[in-house]
Amino acid sequence: MIAQEVLNEWYPVAMAAQIRAGQRRVTQLLGQPITVELQKGAIVVTGQGGALHVTEAYGHVWACPGTPAHDLFPIPEALEPCRRLVDVGVVRVKCSPLRAVENFLDIAHFPFVHTDVLGAEPHTEVNRYEVQIREDSDEVWATKVTFYQPQAAKSAEGGIVTQYMYRVAAPTAAVLYKTCPNRTDAWDVIGIFVQPLTEELCDVWPWMALYDDVTPQAELIAFQQMIFLQDRSILENQIPRLLPLDPGMEIPTQADLTSIAYRRWLKKRGLTYGAQMVAA
Amino acid sequence: MIQLYDYVLSASCYKVRLMAALVGVKMDLEAVDFHPGRAHKSVEFAQLNPAGTLPVMVDGDMILTESTAMLVYLAKRAGPQWLGPDDAKSAAQVQQWLAFSGRLAASLGMARLHDMLLYKGDIDAWRAQGHAALRELEAALTERRFAGGEWLVGDTPSIADIACFPNAALSQDGGVSLDAYPSVRLWTRRIRALDRFIEMPGIHRLHELSPTPKVA
Amino acid sequence: MTPRWTATGLSQDLPKGVVMAGHWQGHDLAVWRSATGRLQAWNDRCPHRGMRLSHGFVRGETLACIYHGWVYGAEGGCKHIPAHPALTPPATITVTAFACVEQDGVIWVAPADMAGSPPAVSGVQPLRSVSLTCDLAAVLAVEPALLGQDILRGTVQIDGQGHDVCLLVQNNPAGLTLHALCGVRANKVAASHWVENLRRRAEMKVAA
Ligand code: FES
Ligand SMILES: [Fe+2]
Repeated sequence: MIAQEVLNEWYPVAMAAQIRAGQRRVTQLLGQPITVELQKGAIVVTGQGGALHVTEAYGHVWACPGTPAHDLFPIPEALEPCRRLVDVGVVRVKCSPLRAVENFLDIAHFPFVHTDVLGAEPHTEVNRYEVQIREDSDEVWATKVTFYQPQAAKSAEGGIVTQYMYRVAAPTAAVLYKTCPNRTDAWDVIGIFVQPLTEELCDVWPWMALYDDVTPQAELIAFQQMIFLQDRSILENQIPRLLPLDPGMEIPTQADLTSIAYRRWLKKRGLTYGAQMVAA
Repeated sequence: MIQLYDYVLSASCYKVRLMAALVGVKMDLEAVDFHPGRAHKSVEFAQLNPAGTLPVMVDGDMILTESTAMLVYLAKRAGPQWLGPDDAKSAAQVQQWLAFSGRLAASLGMARLHDMLLYKGDIDAWRAQGHAALRELEAALTERRFAGGEWLVGDTPSIADIACFPNAALSQDGGVSLDAYPSVRLWTRRIRALDRFIEMPGIHRLHELSPTPKVA
Repeated sequence: MTPRWTATGLSQDLPKGVVMAGHWQGHDLAVWRSATGRLQAWNDRCPHRGMRLSHGFVRGETLACIYHGWVYGAEGGCKHIPAHPALTPPATITVTAFACVEQDGVIWVAPADMAGSPPAVSGVQPLRSVSLTCDLAAVLAVEPALLGQDILRGTVQIDGQGHDVCLLVQNNPAGLTLHALCGVRANKVAASHWVENLRRRAEMKVAA
């Protein structure tokens, strides 16, 4: 039995452009078979029990298998006229959807997993940052995050101290805001939208909203795919596959405040699909 | 300058980038939106390579579409020692491994595309063929070790090693573990330890080769 | 199952400064050799966020996790957390260590409190480790000269001559692994071919 809290959330299930181009996606959501396709000009998601609630946003199709507890979270930056919106495409990972999100919220791994791109030894220290669960939006936010990066983005030359904000906007969707190499007055926005196929298998859809008029699309996609595929070999080798919510199971430090808050938030809201409650 | 139509996650493209790095040749990389855009299957791309495959190398009026041929080109131009020993037997063995690398791509490479980018096909067959190919590679490398050899052909690394390396090293991406292939594992380590080695997602560098940072 | 020593690899396949995956009766292990040659086997799971330590890297006398670089020293104690370079990690952060002994060119593992030594396999030299998709019964069925349970031993025909062989049995989650040793006078290439042939025959028998 899947908890009603889980069923009432929104999950990404396809890239909208691919469905609009006539592709039909036969896939899974929370262990159930679903089909995403175009019917009379509208995107429809069909499960075993009929049509699911559907909305289209940020380049992707989102579905809710229950009764939506709320609207899909907003990303106001996606509406700014000069931003480049980039659909990075799907990558399948054999891990809990929650582990995929947690990895995205983590900066301490940059020097070891994204070596010479997002981090490099000896610049491994994670300075103190702020984490809160925002009551109004019921989201997890990490702010004032800074980290030294040798090559922060495709358009970045040389090392800089990059600033970040992280945001868990849905149980399997997170957004990060980072220093934009081309502008001082705006953030680059990168999302990770995770489709839970099962508790131990997910399709991950990275997405970007950038200020960058120069870099060719294929290079932007390649950069983000490179980053995410470096994470994939980590994610497929964490034990257990499920995300442990039992605090005794894994040992966090101050650098893991975002992950701690994310786990608490999941637990409090009963969003335990892909989680392990008690140590096995 | 040599131009390479490239995709960051492609094992075959990486093969060529790695070879170029090892022999010190700079290339102009032209990123192709292989996924999700499938730009390699577009009409425009077909003018360059009717087969619709990556990588494609362009140097002046020469266009190459087979990655092993690109290895030969780079080695011949900038690092002839990478072609392997000159005797008939060694030359033939190098060719044997270049062809064999195609089998790794057709098995382990396809299993990887299936597991990672949702390519459709018979995953069990791809993995089984991948294991079969890895067994051959393991046997050959083990016999080389009995004789004190560290590389597929000759006493130094060659294009034979570089051709086979990417898909073997990335096998876990397609659900094929290297645990059962100790000689293959040690050989991939030797390649990763080479001077001027470059990595790709799924093949990380040997952090042990960089010094331990001084702790304040 | 009563704890006993299990062969998890051959010494020749684990040079200094290298970590590999090992197994003891269903437990995944990270088996590694330090720069000075010290051998250790640990639970293959980093206490921080569960990453397999067998994907990590050896620096000097320590094993570091590939995910966030946590450094573990002798007996599995955490020595350094790169995200907090000034912090001395609490002594409570440890990886469970297993007993790990090298003998006759074979790496043996057992629980830390295991008494005694691994069984001796004298008179043979390490050859190679191979994995099989069939079970042990199939191996014994196609090569009746091999006798034993955890250690198969017998005289077999290699290159037209009788040679002593010894196969150490390891049951891994992914299947059967045999660590093969052969008589010191046997030609290793020929012995290796014999092992492959044995595997082929055993697997074909199951397929048939
Ligand atoms: S999981 Fe090992 S250091 Fe974080
Ligand atoms: Fe990452």
